[in-house]
Amino acid sequence: MIDVLQVLLFASLRDRAGWSVRQMPLTARTNTAGELWAELQLGSLLAINIAVNQQLVGPERVLCNGDEVAFLPPFTGG
Amino acid sequence: METKWHFCHPLPVVERMASAVQVEIRQQPFSPWAELEQWGGDAAADAVFLGRVRGQTMDGQTLQALELEHYAGLCEQCIKTSAQTLLSEYEADAALVLHRVGRLLPGEVIVLVAVHADRRGAALNCCAALLEDLKHGAPFWKREWCDGQGTWLASNTPR
Repeated sequence: MIDVLQVLLFASLRDRAGWSVRQMPLTARTNTAGELWAELQLGSLLAINIAVNQQLVGPERVLCNGDEVAFLPPFTGG
Repeated sequence: METKWHFCHPLPVVERMASAVQVEIRQQPFSPWAELEQWGGDAAADAVFLGRVRGQTMDGQTLQALELEHYAGLCEQCIKTSAQTLLSEYEADAALVLHRVGRLLPGEVIVLVAVHADRRGAALNCCAALLEDLKHGAPFWKREWCDGQGTWLASNTPR
């Protein structure tokens, strides 16, 4: 049984990647949120917010089996 | 994560503040006046901000529609945390935040922010701070539709 992550993309990031939700294996190359972002090959992490299990975190956040990891482009509400 | 906004920090929450905050994300249009009437209250000072969809895009073209997307769950929690923190900071009594998502037409209300307080300064300042927090710290995204083409906004509108 492999450990998995649920990865979510929103708005412009979703359009760039062509998907919104994806299951990804938790591997030695995706130990942290920042490493997972690098694995997705979607460009610079600058200005991208990260949420793990609905909490905003930094790219150094260590990931665990079953985590929901969301990558969020700059917010433009209100 | 370090940020100057008041969102999602694990601050202790005074129970009174938690119960004094109402936050809803709506898919359907709403009447701000009816919502305010229903929210009620008899505070000495109320401050209200209404935001509506402009008729032009950020680069001045005619806007067909504005699409708003959010990250459900985190978005509501971020606004609640911000409102609770700011009510305490400004010594205001209650806050109401209603925000639309989905496809909006020019002139439709996007956001309603209202604050009850005992003094006008507290009400006005808290309302303004809550709106700015919401614009910069809650996971919403706008896409402008013009001539059948959608463009995600990369930053917020000027203050």
